[in-house]
Amino acid sequence: MTRRYRIADKVVEVTSMHEKVHDYCADYVTEDPADYSVVTTQADVEYERAKNRSETEFEGGQLVEYPDDYLEELAVYRKISRKMLEYDVLLFHGSVIAVDGEGYLFTAKSGTGKSTHTRLWREYFGERAAMVNDDKPLLGIQDDHVIAYGTPYNGKHRLGENISAPLKAICILTRDKENHVERITKGQAYAVLLQQAYRPGDEAGMRMTLMLLDALTERVKLYRLGCNMDLEAAKVAYEGMQ
Amino acid sequence: MKLDPRFLTHVTKGEHYLIAMGDVKFKGIVKNNNTAAFIIECLKKDVTEEEIVEKLMKEYSEADPETVRRDVGNVIEKLRGIGAIVE
Repeated sequence: MTRRYRIADKVVEVTSMHEKVHDYCADYVTEDPADYSVVTTQADVEYERAKNRSETEFEGGQLVEYPDDYLEELAVYRKISRKMLEYDVLLFHGSVIAVDGEGYLFTAKSGTGKSTHTRLWREYFGERAAMVNDDKPLLGIQDDHVIAYGTPYNGKHRLGENISAPLKAICILTRDKENHVERITKGQAYAVLLQQAYRPGDEAGMRMTLMLLDALTERVKLYRLGCNMDLEAAKVAYEGMQ
Repeated sequence: MKLDPRFLTHVTKGEHYLIAMGDVKFKGIVKNNNTAAFIIECLKKDVTEEEIVEKLMKEYSEADPETVRRDVGNVIEKLRGIGAIVE
């Protein structure tokens, strides 16, 4: 099955085995001509399965065996993300929310509380806030600014829309008893950011990721947030980043 | 021994990093001090531990050889631990 989607202002033609892959991307369908195409096969599904096993083993977690259609979704997004690097677009792990049209990206290891924190922002800001993407946004690195794009791959709660917003800040989120936010340097942020950026398996791709990450950290302000789960956390974070 | 080619070095704003590509089990980033960065540069070609010690002694001639040897051993052990060394 083949269909085209407009993601991060690029038209991607996706040919996959499972229809679920396309259900997932339904909000992004376009009839425009493709900028590039990706094709997945059973070999890509097996690659994702093996990767999931080896990562679980390495991290010592409980192995979850995923169905083929889900693994194919991962494979499709991996291929899209690799190809996007060639258009100066970087996949990043984090939760992006826009307030008054400006994007804020919260990043941290899974389970730290990114989604919880952006939920507080939605509560605090109401209609002023819009969810761009709760898990895997794409970041378009332009000459003097960065645009955060919604994508079909928006986390287990499917939070996010087909919208984009200029990215004002990236904030590394940590848990704390009291809420506080500080500006940090590129050097302080770099290792964490690199860990949360998409890392392709080939050297040319990895070099592109590194160049885009360097450009990203030059173009947006970087912060570290210590936060609890009170509504006040949203206020402190927002005001500290103005 | 040699650095696994799936690990890349990157310098930005004067800081040295060692980064694993997507297919490697190790998902972390290593931020290196100057000595570790020097050792990793040596490992881009096939080299022995003793050769690295010699090169470092040439670079830092005032350093204590025993300390250098211990540092090299420690760094290599850490690199081995994350699967960054091909024997």
